[in-house]
Amino acid sequence: MTDLLPQNIHDALAAKAIEHLHPREMIIEVLRAIQDHRGWVPDEGVELAGQILGLTPLQIEEIATFYDKIYRQPVGKRVIHVCDSIACWSRGAENLYLYLQETLGISPGETTQDGTFTLLPTCCLGLCGEAPAMMIGLKAYGRLTRERIDEILATERAEAGA
Amino acid sequence: MPILTIDNQQIEVLKGTNVLEAAKGLGIVIPHFCYHEALGAVGACRLCAMNFVEGPVKGIQMACMIEAKDEMVITTTDQASQEMRARVIEWLMMYHPHDCPVCDEGGECQLQDMTIAGGHDIRRYGGKKRTYSNQDLGPFICHEMNRCIQCYRCVRTYQDYCGGTDFGVLGTNQRVYFGRFRDGRLESPFSGNIVDACPTGVFTDRTFRYRTRYWDIEEAPSVCPHCSLGCAVIPGGRFRELQRVRGGVNKQTNGFFICDRARFGGGYGNHPERPRVPRVDGAQTTWPEALRALRKRITDLVARHGPGAVAFLGSPRASLEANYLLDSWAASLGSRRIAFDSHWQHDRSARVAAGKLGPRAASLEDIRCSDFILMIGVDPLNEAPMLALAVRQAVRRGVRLAVIDPRPVTLPCAAAHLPLAPEALPDVLEALAGGDIRRLGRREAVLLEGILEQLRAAERPVLIGGPDLLGAAGIERLLDTARLLASEHRPCKVMTVLAGPNSFGCGVLARQGPDFEAILNGMLAGEIKALVCLESDPMTGSSDPARTGMALGKLELLAALDYLPTAAAHHAHLFLPTTAVPESAGVYVNNEGRMLLFSSAMDPGTPISVSGGGDHPPRTFLPATPGSEPRPAWATLGHLQGRRLSLRDIRQAIEMEHPNFAGLSSLTTGGEGKRIADISPPPETAPEIPFPHSEGEGTLRLYAMEDFAGSGELAGYASALAPLRPTPFVMLGALDAKQRSLSDGQQVRLRSELGGVGVALRVVPDLPAGIALVPRLRGTALESYVPGRGHYDCQILSEDEEKT
Ligand code: SF4
Ligand code: SF4
Ligand code: FES
Ligand code: FES
Repeated sequence: MTDLLPQNIHDALAAKAIEHLHPREMIIEVLRAIQDHRGWVPDEGVELAGQILGLTPLQIEEIATFYDKIYRQPVGKRVIHVCDSIACWSRGAENLYLYLQETLGISPGETTQDGTFTLLPTCCLGLCGEAPAMMIGLKAYGRLTRERIDEILATERAEAGA
Repeated sequence: MPILTIDNQQIEVLKGTNVLEAAKGLGIVIPHFCYHEALGAVGACRLCAMNFVEGPVKGIQMACMIEAKDEMVITTTDQASQEMRARVIEWLMMYHPHDCPVCDEGGECQLQDMTIAGGHDIRRYGGKKRTYSNQDLGPFICHEMNRCIQCYRCVRTYQDYCGGTDFGVLGTNQRVYFGRFRDGRLESPFSGNIVDACPTGVFTDRTFRYRTRYWDIEEAPSVCPHCSLGCAVIPGGRFRELQRVRGGVNKQTNGFFICDRARFGGGYGNHPERPRVPRVDGAQTTWPEALRALRKRITDLVARHGPGAVAFLGSPRASLEANYLLDSWAASLGSRRIAFDSHWQHDRSARVAAGKLGPRAASLEDIRCSDFILMIGVDPLNEAPMLALAVRQAVRRGVRLAVIDPRPVTLPCAAAHLPLAPEALPDVLEALAGGDIRRLGRREAVLLEGILEQLRAAERPVLIGGPDLLGAAGIERLLDTARLLASEHRPCKVMTVLAGPNSFGCGVLARQGPDFEAILNGMLAGEIKALVCLESDPMTGSSDPARTGMALGKLELLAALDYLPTAAAHHAHLFLPTTAVPESAGVYVNNEGRMLLFSSAMDPGTPISVSGGGDHPPRTFLPATPGSEPRPAWATLGHLQGRRLSLRDIRQAIEMEHPNFAGLSSLTTGGEGKRIADISPPPETAPEIPFPHSEGEGTLRLYAMEDFAGSGELAGYASALAPLRPTPFVMLGALDAKQRSLSDGQQVRLRSELGGVGVALRVVPDLPAGIALVPRLRGTALESYVPGRGHYDCQILSEDEEKT
């Protein structure tokens, strides 16, 4: 289990779930904890969340597969979510998306050879005012240009220790 | 009540009706998928567009989502709404694989109908289609996700209505997927309903896979014979074989859904060993020969020993008409020895219900609409599955449910469970009826006070009880309780679960007659020389199979009329084959006293799958259909009395003799049925029947309980249900297990007067101390443990202890 969730976090979540009137409301929280630790949520992670919350794996999976920020497949150390919604699109997001694919040498949904980056589209990030935008991990980046993307990738790569 | 105009026609509808329904009332049926009467409207499919010209809302709207209001003027034939529907259905069909030729739904597919009705006929989309991988959902249901149009009916049926937790909706937008977390059998006992609910071929009945097209199947509205609730079902046959059962609609009973026992348990009539030919002394013979022999033997016996030497046994699974004719035959011979259920305790419970329930009887619809429910001594999922769903619908509305029962009553909804030993139930009933509450423990008394308070406060409370743990005495007390709790302005209804589909009807016919115990004693004493069994197997049906076997062995004549290869049919000197339920017409009276008509979907005959053994059937030429000898029991019983009666004649005779059955001959199939009139004289001082349990000492008291697929007589002959039958187990409370140093899952030895058997132990934390439970499982070592006859003294030992 420890490769899914450290014991202390597991116990804290389990204790909280017992107190909770609607443990269902904790699904995302538990999945995120597993994802933070493991990088993604394997099947066993879904089952573990079910155990902690007293729900069936299906009830967890319904939520896990609804949100594109819960990764049910292995991803790179950093996941890039590029906004493909309308405000960003009107400010040239499409080209930047292509630029990212070229620079990283991968198509959407793929992970770079060195395992650093995974590239995914996302719907509106609420950063329309700074369109075009993207998100890496929990960090949001607006007013993207090719140059800025180069910088961001370099920083993120360095931080990821690659 | 709002009045609105749709396509220039006015209609007045009940407040709260949606516009889609209102239009239906005018005969205007607009294509729709996601709306379903039992599931409600969610506006998911976007298909039911209408144009709202005048009134509180304007423009193109989803009709299912709009409540009908005064002054609304709506059109459905204008270009805008027609075009909208055509486009929507075109999107919905975009990824559809166009595989109707290999789809079991083809021909009875709402998607086919609505696509055409919606105005989409030629596919314009030429792009790549999204395709899914399907799951193995077990032996009952096939999965083909590519046919899905995202109406969400399946999840709403499975999760919301039926309370299942292992099937749901996964993914988002164009990847939305309806399935399980992993491959595996759908766990809900109501899983098959998604086959009926899905408007397309995503979920189809695996037991029916590639067997028959809709236009080739013979169907008729019928009534489920697997328990006492009388749910509406539609059996379908082809090639002389019952091929499937689907849910029928009866808003007073099941509503729209049925349980898996009914849906996948229809195969009893196809049983390869089903006796189909009349037999005399072990040799097959013709009908005239067999009828002559039976008449002659009975006349001889009556001449030699008097009419009392001949006894009759009717059955809760035989039609009202057949039971009635058995009764009139007995009467015409001068014998008063007739009982209608070989399980005498069940018989007595049915008589109490039939005699005293009257207008207090709750239907399943009453339960769905109730506002407080107390269940005592009843285990719905195992005894009457759809009752569990009715209760769930009330609980979904926030209604409280209290359960008093020693068994771990599993339900698809939340309940407050008070696990009391069977011996404590009389005290509980006593206390509920105003007696001394202090006879219970303190904790129990407090809980019961709470229940009583809620019962008094509720506007539409319902009490529900079953015969196995309450017995006739308990059922009677439950009815007294309801009477005490009811006032002029506030009814308190009761539902009593009974043993079989016609137990109530049998209870009315039985009146003051003897029960099977008396007949058994007569046989053992040698006074009774002959027993005629109508669709009844006392060898396994009675509450004392061993003694019954002994008694039957003493008979000079055992005659059986049946459609099952029962022990009694096998041992009978004289056997007459009858038609199974889907092959015959008749009336069942369900547990609330509702007369329900079933009609014949198919003719009897040896299934081609049986005679051909999976290959082409034998190439022999016969003037008659092979295996078509079975006749309806009522026809045979009429014949035996030298009368040529139609069902109509019989029903009229029943109405004349028993005025409670007024309206019987004007029943129509597929309707809601009709409650019997409440004019039966209450049984004159019913015999003092003790509760079906008494305090025991020392050893454990073992009670047998019903199992969803393992206990029923018909279910036992339905091979498709095999995957649902558990392996034998015994349940014990945590304390009792600890005292014996036994643990959950361990293999143990169960010893009682019936001998010793090895079973797995299930430790149930809050099972009351001093009792153990086993499911009755036909075809296993637990077959002879009969529910509803009180306890067996037993011992539970670990396998090692047993050896020493
Ligand atoms: S599987 Fe059937 S019922 Fe479920 S959403 Fe798809 S079409 Fe509707
Ligand atoms: S609940 Fe009873 S009557 Fe209804 S479908 Fe199931 S077995 Fe048949
Ligand atoms: S559209 Fe891209 S952030 Fe809103
Ligand atoms: S039936 Fe109205 S939106 Fe589906």
